[in-house]
Amino acid sequence: MPSAQPPSPEASIAQNSPHVLLPFLQSQSQNALTRLYQRPSSCLSIFRLLAPLSKQLVMNLLWLDSPVLAGTMAAWVVLDGKKLYDEALNTLMRLHILQSSGAKLALNPTFKASMRQAITCSGTTGSFGVPAQRDDKRDAPSVETLDGYAVQRWETILHYMVSSGQGQYPTKPTQGVLYLLQRSGLMASYHGSTLQITSSGFQFLLYSPRDQLWDLLLQYLHMVEERQMDLVEVLSFFFMLSTMELGREYSTEPLSETQKAMLEDLRDYGLVWQRKASSKRFSPTRLATTLTSVSPSLPTAGGSRNPGSAPGASSVANSTGINTNDHGFIVLETNYRVYAYTDNPLQIAVLNLFITLKYRFPNLVVGMLTRESVRRALGNGISAEQISPETAA
Amino acid sequence: MEKASHLSVIVDLSPTQWHLSAQPSNPYPLSIQSFLSQLLAFLNTHVAAKHENTLAVYGALPGKSVLLYSSSDPAPENAPASDANAFTPFKLVDATVVDRIMQEFEAVSEAEEEAPCSLVSALAKALCYINRITHPSTSAGPEDPNELPDPRILILSVSPDLSSSYIPIMNCIFSAQKLKVTIDVCKVYGPETVFLQQAAHLTEGSYIHLERRDALLQYLVMSFLAPPSVRGVLAVPRQERIDFRAACFCHKNIVDIGFVCSVCLSIFCQPVPVCSTCRTKFPIKTLQRLNASRPPGPPRQATPQTSPAKPSTNGHRGFGPELNGRP
Repeated sequence: MPSAQPPSPEASIAQNSPHVLLPFLQSQSQNALTRLYQRPSSCLSIFRLLAPLSKQLVMNLLWLDSPVLAGTMAAWVVLDGKKLYDEALNTLMRLHILQSSGAKLALNPTFKASMRQAITCSGTTGSFGVPAQRDDKRDAPSVETLDGYAVQRWETILHYMVSSGQGQYPTKPTQGVLYLLQRSGLMASYHGSTLQITSSGFQFLLYSPRDQLWDLLLQYLHMVEERQMDLVEVLSFFFMLSTMELGREYSTEPLSETQKAMLEDLRDYGLVWQRKASSKRFSPTRLATTLTSVSPSLPTAGGSRNPGSAPGASSVANSTGINTNDHGFIVLETNYRVYAYTDNPLQIAVLNLFITLKYRFPNLVVGMLTRESVRRALGNGISAEQISPETAA
Repeated sequence: MEKASHLSVIVDLSPTQWHLSAQPSNPYPLSIQSFLSQLLAFLNTHVAAKHENTLAVYGALPGKSVLLYSSSDPAPENAPASDANAFTPFKLVDATVVDRIMQEFEAVSEAEEEAPCSLVSALAKALCYINRITHPSTSAGPEDPNELPDPRILILSVSPDLSSSYIPIMNCIFSAQKLKVTIDVCKVYGPETVFLQQAAHLTEGSYIHLERRDALLQYLVMSFLAPPSVRGVLAVPRQERIDFRAACFCHKNIVDIGFVCSVCLSIFCQPVPVCSTCRTKFPIKTLQRLNASRPPGPPRQATPQTSPAKPSTNGHRGFGPELNGRP
């Protein structure tokens, strides 16, 4: 057995940076956060977004009734992990989950009560989504319908971005989505003409679908104030969606006005499916139910893993729903030739960003990573790490 | 994000022991109802920590062991109705575990002598399950996001040690080491179990003997919730002094000092001419020497065979007739 040095505990835990939503939450006021914590589903979703050590600290304190001395808490961690412990403590304090009174620390009482309700399945807030009555006339949508809908809406958005508005894709995203894309800096209109993709837009295309989704949602949250919507309601609706079950219908009755208005936007992004705009029930799609997890948020290709597939290429495979079960979907040779077994126009368009396509067959696209194509990509703002296979995560 | 983790819980459901545990004469009586409610809260916490966390719950009953709940099973037909106040996976876990335990308790036969609790067979089944899920038959590639790197098993035990289960437990421990499974043990009630201490120690898990049984949930959350990757940072309780006694292979007695076969390392309480495991024959001279060096046994009552006229060689020749009979 090779005697490799085991990675230090810090390295193994600190690999991942904190979730992108946490800084946004930390910038909110304590009152807003306490209102958010009144609902158990929000507490549960935020709990899932925390780092492992923070989760453990929260759980240690959850069932205690009295505050704990700061020194006692510090004794829970070994000396090597002091830095991680301080980071975790800092995160929790800024989220107002942990409160200090003198030398003692305790959980925010609202958070504690809601979290206990979530774990023991008690409580009366109905925050996990009220299921709709069984409809005798029509069946609930199947998982395939939901997946297909989510994929179709998501691809519409991406396609629009890739082809910069002149694409041949049959449908265009709605005005709301276009406005969001413009505000988030992913697309811009120069000289009053149609929207063109910007360099940050190019980088956006190469992220995984989950990162793309959270990027857009964060932008949505930033715009909430000017649209006169209540931020806490918006956030609690997102968190409620992430705890819902795929394939089940939920009723729109208990939703607040803000949340009902959000339904339309969420339909456009593919998070929620409704039979028609005025329907009293809705179903979350896989994009919504996997908001706080790392499962693939869209049905993905079976095997786009092989030594030498670029992360850009594997995100291409993940971002759209092809069902290839064979391995070797994208092959990169040592002479920089690329073979991609696909006929999905979106994937081909994304590959076109940094590869010179040479031949196109019904099921295969052949191209080369040439100096010109890479320079073109770098000029558009795509970084080398996103293309290079050595830094595949 | 950090990787998912798998937890298999083995619950010791020996009815006699639970009945004893609930007696008010104990310092902190713990009935099985309050135990189960705290256990379910712990299971929910594990499922809450990450969307991809998986769970399997085994029950060890007298004479048999059953799988009570597994997250890789499809949801049952009569799944509990979706409730606005409860996260559906929690309800599913809770309802399934409680229903199955009730079914099993009703099915326990009213025999005179209760069969010993089959903890070892539950442990073996849990290891097989972990082996199945960590090495799926159709591999989906080297970076499968669903691969579980650090599975662990938590044993909640109330029964005393069963010396006939020494060999199976050691075999399970070796397989756990190969699979890189961590075995944690929580001794809820009952005397110290030597074998489970060794199991926790050899797989780098933690062994806790509960003193305050009413604080079971806090013990569970603080010691057993964290996956092994986080335990490097947390100060997890370990036992300092492990009782490494073993059981002999011939009579299944727990021994402090014994005789070990030099080929296969099987343990015997007295020298045997042929090892029962690997059939190695030992030379007579060695056996005689070993017999001579045996620590003196407990004083024997005077029987007609032993003549009190030979006091000095009585102890040494106590086993002479056995050896002299062999060629």
